[in-house]
Amino acid sequence: MALIRNNQAGRSSPKATGAGSASPGREGRREGPTEAPTEGPTEGQADLGAVLRGGDADARRNAARALGADPNGTKTLAEALEREPDPRVREAIFTSLIRLGGRESVDAIIPYLRTDDANLRMGALDALRAMIDAARPVLPELLTDPDADIRLLTCDLLRELPSPDATALLCGVLAREQEANVCAAAVDVLADIGDAGAVPYLDQCAARFGDATFLSFAVKTARERIIAGGGAGHG
Amino acid sequence: MGEPADYDAGERFKRITEQEYSRLCEFLYRRTGMVFTETKRYYVERRVRDRMKATEATSFASYFARLRIDASGEVEQFVNAFTINETYFYREQHQLRCLTADLLRERIADSPRDRVADLPRDGIATPRHDSPIRIWSLPCSTGEEPYSIALWLLENWPPVDAYDIEIVGSDIDTTVLQAAEAGVFGKRSLMHLPPAVVARYFAAIGDEEWRIIDDLRQSVRFAPVNLIDAASTAAFGRFDVIFCRNLLIYFDDASRRVAAENLFESLRPKGFLCLGHSESMSRISPLFEVRRFADAIVYQRPLPG
Repeated sequence: MALIRNNQAGRSSPKATGAGSASPGREGRREGPTEAPTEGPTEGQADLGAVLRGGDADARRNAARALGADPNGTKTLAEALEREPDPRVREAIFTSLIRLGGRESVDAIIPYLRTDDANLRMGALDALRAMIDAARPVLPELLTDPDADIRLLTCDLLRELPSPDATALLCGVLAREQEANVCAAAVDVLADIGDAGAVPYLDQCAARFGDATFLSFAVKTARERIIAGGGAGHG
Repeated sequence: MGEPADYDAGERFKRITEQEYSRLCEFLYRRTGMVFTETKRYYVERRVRDRMKATEATSFASYFARLRIDASGEVEQFVNAFTINETYFYREQHQLRCLTADLLRERIADSPRDRVADLPRDGIATPRHDSPIRIWSLPCSTGEEPYSIALWLLENWPPVDAYDIEIVGSDIDTTVLQAAEAGVFGKRSLMHLPPAVVARYFAAIGDEEWRIIDDLRQSVRFAPVNLIDAASTAAFGRFDVIFCRNLLIYFDDASRRVAAENLFESLRPKGFLCLGHSESMSRISPLFEVRRFADAIVYQRPLPG
C-alpha cells in the first residue's frame, strides 16, 4: 500500500511507467473545465485571430501559443502584438514568433525596437536575441539605422554571434559611429567577446572621442580584457 | 623547493587570477544563467582544470578562448561538468522545507481540498471532490527527487495522511525512468538522508546498495515528458507545485521560452514553480510572480486577469 495516499486507481499520467500505469487517463479525474490545460483553442486560424482580438487574457495567451504551431500564423501574431496590453500574452506572442522563425517573424518584431514602451522594446530585443540566426541578415542594416537607440540595442544583440563575426561588425561601428553612447555599447560587448583584431579600432575610437572620459575608461578596460583573454584577431 | 603558490602540487595547473575568474563567471552567467561567486571558486577551478585536461589546453587563456567560441561544443561540455552526477536524496533541502512550511499551506488555503484522513484507505469510499495535491518533479532522472519529496512529506508534514497527494516524476529519458522505478540507490545518493530515514524506507540489498521499499515506490509515479512539447506537458494536467531544477540551463533562449510557457500552463493558478538555486530567471520572470519565502525563492503562476 502506498505510504502517501494518492488514489492512483482513478488517474494516471500519460504513458505512466510506474505503479498505476494501467490507467483510464485523465478522463478518470473530475477536474473542472478551468483545470484542463490546453495548448490553445482548437478553432481555425481565423478564430484564433478573433480570440486574440476579443478573448480574455488566458484565451488570448492560449491562442497565441496555438498560432506558434501554425506556419501561417506570423501575420496574425504580429497584428495582435500591436494592440496586446497584457505582458504575459505578449510573451506568448513573442515566443510563438520565435518558434515560427524566419525573416517574416524578424520583420514583425523589429518595429517594436522603436516603441516607447520599455517592456515591449526589451521583449522585442530578447525575441531577436533568441532567433539570432534569422535576425542576422538585418543586423548590418540595424547598425546603420538613423535612430541611435536602435544602433545601441543592436550592438547588444551581437553578443549572440560567434566572436569573430561580432568583432567584425562592432569594429565597423567603432570606425564610423558618431554617437559616443553607441560606441560605448559596442566597446562593452567587445570587452566580453571581442578578439585582438578589435584593439586598433578601440584605440582609434578612444582618440576620436578624447573628451568623453567614460568612453576612454571603457576602452581601456576592454583593451585589457581582450589582451588578457588572448583571443585571435578576426582577420 | 615546492611548487609556486599558484600551482597545484603534482599538476601544471596555474591557478586562475581574480580577473580571469571574474570574466569566466560573467561568461558562465551570460551563457547559462548559472551564478558563481568567490565562495565557489574552488569548485569552479576544479571543473576548469578537468576540462583543460580533456581539451589539452595549455593555459587558461587558451581554454577560455575555446569556450568563448564554443569550439566543438565546449560550452555544453563545460556546463555538464558542473551538473552531472549531482543528484542525491534531499538535494536542495531548503526547497523541501519551503514546500512543507509555506507552499502546501498556501495551496490548501487557496484551493481547499477535502480531508481524506478519515476515509477508508481501501478505495471503496472516495473523497467528495477529487482534487489531490499534485506535485511534479522534472527532470527526475533516476528518481531521487520525487522520492525525496515523498520522504520529506512523510517525515516532515504532519497532515500528509489527511490529503490525497499525487507525486509524478518525469524525464525525457525513459532509461532513467526505468531505473527510477526500480528504486535501487547507491551510498552516494543516500549520503544526506538521516540513518533512521534510510532504515525506515530502504532495504539493503548489498554492501553499497539499497532498494526503496515498495510502499514508498507506490507513492510516486513515473512517466516520460518532453518539456518543450506543449502536447506532451499538457497531457499531465495541472499541478500545485512543480520542481524543475537545473534543466532550463541546458536550453537555448528559444527553447527556454517555450519551456517556461509550458511550465506556466502546467500549473494550477497560484501554483508554484521551484527552479534550481543557480537557475536563470530569464524568460521566467515575465510570466511568473516571484515569491520570497524564508527558505527559498519560488515562482508563482498568478490568477488570471
